[in-house]
Amino acid sequence: MNNIAERMPRLGKTLASIDHLTFRYPDSPNPAVRDVNLEVGEGEVVLLAGPSGCGKSTLLRCINGLIPHMFPGDYQGSVSVGGLKVAETPMSTLAQNVGLLFQNPENQIFMFSVERDIAFGLQNLSVPRQEMRTRVDETMRLLGITALAQRAPHELSDGQKQRAALAGVIAMRPKLIILDEPTSLLDPKTALEVVSLIEKLNRELGITFIVVEHRLELLIPIAHRLVVMDGGAKVMDGPPQDVLADERVEGYGVSVPPIFKLYNALSKDGARMRKAPQTPEEMAEELNAR
Amino acid sequence: MTLIEFKGVSFVHETGVTALSDVSLAVGRGETVAIVGENGAGKTTLVRHINGLLKPTKGSVFVDGVDTRETTTATLSRKVGVAFQNPDHQLFSESVENEVKFAMRNFGFSEELVSQRLDWALKFFGLEQYRKSSPLVLSGGEKKRLTLACILAWDPEVVVLDEPTVGQDALQKEKLGQIFRLLQSTGKTIFLVSHDVEFLWPIQPRLVVMSGGRVVADGKISKIMADRELLEGARVTQPQLLRLYAGLRRRPTTPFLDVLEARDWIGGKKESPGAG
Amino acid sequence: MYWLSGGFVFRRVVSPFHKLDPRVKLLVSIEFFVVSLVSTTVPEIALVLFAVLVVSAVARSLRRIGRTIAFSSLFAGFIFAVNFLFGLGLLNAILYSVRFLAIISSTSVFFVTTSPDELEQIMKWTRVPRDIVFAFVTAVRFIPVVMLDAFQIMDAQKSRGLEFEKGNVVKRVRNMVPILIPLVVNSVIRSGELAEAMESRAYGSTPKPTSLYGMRLRWYDAATALASLLLLSAVTLYIYHVFPFPV
Repeated sequence: MNNIAERMPRLGKTLASIDHLTFRYPDSPNPAVRDVNLEVGEGEVVLLAGPSGCGKSTLLRCINGLIPHMFPGDYQGSVSVGGLKVAETPMSTLAQNVGLLFQNPENQIFMFSVERDIAFGLQNLSVPRQEMRTRVDETMRLLGITALAQRAPHELSDGQKQRAALAGVIAMRPKLIILDEPTSLLDPKTALEVVSLIEKLNRELGITFIVVEHRLELLIPIAHRLVVMDGGAKVMDGPPQDVLADERVEGYGVSVPPIFKLYNALSKDGARMRKAPQTPEEMAEELNAR
Repeated sequence: MTLIEFKGVSFVHETGVTALSDVSLAVGRGETVAIVGENGAGKTTLVRHINGLLKPTKGSVFVDGVDTRETTTATLSRKVGVAFQNPDHQLFSESVENEVKFAMRNFGFSEELVSQRLDWALKFFGLEQYRKSSPLVLSGGEKKRLTLACILAWDPEVVVLDEPTVGQDALQKEKLGQIFRLLQSTGKTIFLVSHDVEFLWPIQPRLVVMSGGRVVADGKISKIMADRELLEGARVTQPQLLRLYAGLRRRPTTPFLDVLEARDWIGGKKESPGAG
Repeated sequence: MYWLSGGFVFRRVVSPFHKLDPRVKLLVSIEFFVVSLVSTTVPEIALVLFAVLVVSAVARSLRRIGRTIAFSSLFAGFIFAVNFLFGLGLLNAILYSVRFLAIISSTSVFFVTTSPDELEQIMKWTRVPRDIVFAFVTAVRFIPVVMLDAFQIMDAQKSRGLEFEKGNVVKRVRNMVPILIPLVVNSVIRSGELAEAMESRAYGSTPKPTSLYGMRLRWYDAATALASLLLLSAVTLYIYHVFPFPV
């Protein structure tokens, strides 16, 4: 899977825009997010990384509207998605523009069967039954879980639960989907399957993704951008290879994959390499050629 | 000398699902064993047999010569400390202090010994400032350190770590690596269940690969991880440095263990070949 | 724990009874309940119990209902003993204990054959407020999850030397604290995550959400309902006609 940034020409118009956002929870002395500016273009896959407590989770909730609607606090600056100002738009409208998939799929599946759970969001939006049926079937087909329609959540494997939870979000047809550490509870092979699913959705349906992850090596092949946060502020932002090839990144508590660490170490010693390698095999190829 | 032994162990759930099939394993004192395999391959089931939480349906498990069927988990735990994946499944005391004391008191340690070990554990894990705080207000990383502190306070000979690096950022993982190296240096026998091959690779443990309830490989990590076919079948990924090593035409006799080693060899390659 | 899970948890089975509209299933259960209370002799109540077993067989759940009865017979025996020892007579003692079994098993038949989704539909149909319906369905959905949590917590605490089996009553109750606190804390954390997920999927946007499935009475629903009502009336009249009803 070569890096998508090389294959596709860059983004369309801006889909989400975060403008000088600062947010402080009511019972906290310090802001969780400090003067963050970020623009996400249509069709992009943005990887968001940073140490624990850097404000990633807070930022996600500011984008999908949980902040300030469910979690009020000291809110300055603005966030808009699809032309809508998040702080001024009700959750029912926001839910159709931004979807948020939390870390643990177990706690996002409410109903006793997969297909009814997928319909959950549509029910809340008063979608008529016929259309609901179509959307649910389509979504299940898209994620390859049609066979699981009648299953109960406790009968599903971790990977299947992940897909079922994602289906529940996708059924609402948001243009932007945020994933909060989608692979942390999965084994590496299942994680790779989830990543190719994200890539497929991005490529075929043009859905924009913001993914928070510690396990960067899984997401780098499909990400257009890597944004690093630390202490509530955005500290780095650019194509993944550029950011990881910048030696500052290691100081921010980001799990840099060994190949990139090696590339940085070699570059520091003066070894000239054509460009930062995506995979160990690429690096081996280049070294063999010398 | 063998400390933990599995002899032809099979385990079948009440639901009829076979979780372990004819597993035999002998682990000596002071060994570090890493157990890898996909979810559902039997890693967690295996590990639950070591401290008697599960008893085999066929075969036997021996801990320091004692058959686990003839004793209780509470007794076995004195020798085998298991750190489970989710700290929220354990923490309950009003203070970090009492949390650490809990297990030691269960084991009947004298109050003096309890205090001593408590002081050591809090200092070593950097939790002294939270001594009187409630464990529930700690951050995720601190909670994980606290559960380890609770276990090492009672100084078991065997330590079992179940997915210690899940959800941890780079700094937390580094701290974990340091703690791990200390455990090894004090001669503890360690079982490490982990998906994180990058964390495992520099440690170079004995590797046990599980798939479908069976042990499909058991031996040197560098040898086993070089077998792509085996890893594919067990759905285990290869460490990046090993992949790099495999792709090089000219390379040292043994694979790179960490980035510095790789850099030194590759950097040196330009002047003189075959420095490894 | 076993009794509860065996007797009152829905299991997906294909049977003529399962196919019925949930309201009809509820009706049948209520009818059994009524006829159990109305029966006044041992042969009558025995017949009712037999009828419940027949319906269980039609629902292909005979083994489960049988288990429910088996586990409940301890308490039924207790009822028998109390009544007998207090001098209410052998026949009455048998009557009351068998009546208990009939009621428990007919309730069990309802829950074993009705899925939580169908329960939800019934609750909505009876105009129970949306939030209560949601709370109920979600609670049922998470029962297996919370049970799993409880087992994992017990394992973790056992691994710290906690022994449940030992000690007097006071000690045993104290030993529940390391289990209950993490269980409660985890449930609270879980509720928080659920609330966030609900909000993010627009819960509460409308007081009248639509639904994927509706309930529809088909010919066999109407036929079963009608037939059972007629049977109930016939039986009740028979009982009234032959014996005066003891209030």
